[in-house]
Amino acid sequence: MEQRSGKGFAHLFDRVEWLGPIMLAPAILYILALIALPFCLALLYSVSDVTTGRQSLSWVGLENFRGILDSPTFRQALKNTFIFTFVSQVLVMVLAQIMALALQQSFPGKPLVRFLLLLPWVSPIALGTIGWKWMYDSLYSVINWTLQALHLISPATWPYWLGEPDLAMIAVILVHVWRMFPFATVILLAGLTSLPTEVLEAAAVDGAGFWRRLFQIILPMLRPIMTVAVLFGVVFTFADMTVIYVLTRGGPYDSTHVLGSLAFFVGIIGGDLGEGAAISIFLFPLLVMVAIVMLRIARRTEVD
Amino acid sequence: MTSQHKAALSRRELLKTVGVGSLALAGFAPLFQTSRASAQPKTLKILQWSHFVPRYDEWFDKKFTKEWGEQHNTQVIVDHISSAEIRARAAAEVAAQKGHDLFMFLDPPAVYEAQVIEHNELVQEVERKHGKLLELAHKSVYNPKTKKYFGFSDSWVPDPGNYRKDLWDTVGTFPDTWDDVRVGGAKIKQQAGNPVGIGLSQELDTSMAMRAIMYSFGSHEQNEDGQLTINSKETLEAVKFVRALYQETMTPEVFTWDVSSNNRFMLAGKGSFAMNAISITRSAEKDVPEMSKKIQLAKTPAGPVRRMGLEHVMSVYVIWKFAENKEGAKQFLLDLVDHYRTAFLESEFYNFPSFPNTVPDLRELIAKDPKGEPPDKYSILGDFVQFATNVGYPGYSTAAIDEVFSTFVIPTMFGKAARDELSPEEAVKAAEREMKRIFAKWEKA
Repeated sequence: MEQRSGKGFAHLFDRVEWLGPIMLAPAILYILALIALPFCLALLYSVSDVTTGRQSLSWVGLENFRGILDSPTFRQALKNTFIFTFVSQVLVMVLAQIMALALQQSFPGKPLVRFLLLLPWVSPIALGTIGWKWMYDSLYSVINWTLQALHLISPATWPYWLGEPDLAMIAVILVHVWRMFPFATVILLAGLTSLPTEVLEAAAVDGAGFWRRLFQIILPMLRPIMTVAVLFGVVFTFADMTVIYVLTRGGPYDSTHVLGSLAFFVGIIGGDLGEGAAISIFLFPLLVMVAIVMLRIARRTEVD
Repeated sequence: MTSQHKAALSRRELLKTVGVGSLALAGFAPLFQTSRASAQPKTLKILQWSHFVPRYDEWFDKKFTKEWGEQHNTQVIVDHISSAEIRARAAAEVAAQKGHDLFMFLDPPAVYEAQVIEHNELVQEVERKHGKLLELAHKSVYNPKTKKYFGFSDSWVPDPGNYRKDLWDTVGTFPDTWDDVRVGGAKIKQQAGNPVGIGLSQELDTSMAMRAIMYSFGSHEQNEDGQLTINSKETLEAVKFVRALYQETMTPEVFTWDVSSNNRFMLAGKGSFAMNAISITRSAEKDVPEMSKKIQLAKTPAGPVRRMGLEHVMSVYVIWKFAENKEGAKQFLLDLVDHYRTAFLESEFYNFPSFPNTVPDLRELIAKDPKGEPPDKYSILGDFVQFATNVGYPGYSTAAIDEVFSTFVIPTMFGKAARDELSPEEAVKAAEREMKRIFAKWEKA
């Protein structure tokens, strides 16, 4: 039977070269509208004097960037962003590896453990952080009450988790670890189950013990997957502001701000959108590099 | 080939049908909206905080706005948000140029002056009827340069000292001055283990308490003409005092506090002194009656220069330029002020009227409270109008002062000095640098 000749708009749907872009268009529009457009606005705001109270803006060049580089709070926030990300991801990797190895074995209640493990990841981050805020509360901290019940601390030596800068940083890192650890575990578990068993069996037959198998066989073979897990964790933690916003609001006295939370407080709460945008733009070059590395690793893993 | 042709036809027909159908629906939608809109009453949308005295919101939401709405053929929608989210929500509504008709702030929103209508007529109308607006409210919502009222203040909230009389009696003193708080507070902490609790964190209560200390030491962010004066020997003395007050009488928890923390601190029986509105005592009456007998109210402590306090909360309604029902919003505010005696009573004396004549028997009402122990517990609040002042005193609450307030420059200054992160001199200089930047920005604006 002859095909009708392609004529008019209706026949676009028959042509793959048109149909593909048409079907992709909503997703692309979404990315443009909700990511590209706000990003371009942020770039524009960062070189202007726009405020929340005024719709007009004037060019100020790099004044906002100069201003924030002079600010000790910004420098502290930049440092904190790296510290929180690096420390929490190291802990996540170690704990996720342990949990993944454990979940590879069969034991009673394994489905329940897997379900509980996923809860921190699937529950809304703000909700989880509010729970942690109560656990760190200066009066009703369940952590402190437990430590006191175990006679490890007394009422006079209660740690004020969110009131001392060092303890507040530990508190923030713990929340990040709690949140990211399930995600990393699932990725590593998937990686472990895909390892060729004959290699591990051969190593066992040759007399390699657990630690040697772990460090000389399993971890090197898991490296691509671990890299993906680390890079996802880095991006999520680096760009996060919710944990700081809910838990400490940047306190005590600006000592736990990260770039995201500082940008919010300066730009939205303080009203200086230009400066807030300049702070948030600092994240961009780093996250671009991370994204490039992620894509390269993923591609190399795919090729392998 | 025939089946492929049939499949191609089906896919094309499906997509055509869906596409045409969606366009058709979109085209007809305005007809439905128009016909629905013409049958409905007007709408007035109000956004305000969740009041710390729940009874006020009960009255406001379920009685006052309902009755007002019936009288004016208006559907009144009241949305409540947490006090900490107000600024973010305001920024969102301004960015979208869409939102509520009436938006309530808890501190003077000078940065939004360009986004709100002139409230001058409203203030003048109320003054004609009920007498002058309080000076502290006037300086909170008026811009002397543009001669514009950028907000309408219905109420302010006194910020008394809340102290445990039983504990202070053991040390034979009473927190009448800041030195009393420091000396008596240290003794109580040593003897009974109950610390003083004045927030040193980035939240509203701390901002007000630190300014109360500053102003009572003669230290100010600005002078009458709006020029920066933060770096002064009076500020240094105030910072040194707060450092000593923290180290001798408090615990590090004060760095973690939010607006409700000092309430919990006192109600749990831990604290000996806090600066807070009467939400502590009212909550105690309901939930912890034994504690209610022990917690009493004191005037804002006096400093070496004067006795001066801030309002705990400055209620300011604004009507956005993009509000859909500006006339309804204005009428609502006029009627709210007319009913302010009721509002004052429903707030259980929390909301003090910015137009004092709207509650002419205020002193009589607070002198005898059926729930207070003793009944004249709240009578001290009647004195607050003599020494309460606005953020930015002796100047006005300008946009620069607003940004300094919203970015917690003052609490950070005191906090860093209290913990010896910076010396008092360095802390003052750091605050001055930050404030210079902010003031310069707003001068250019």
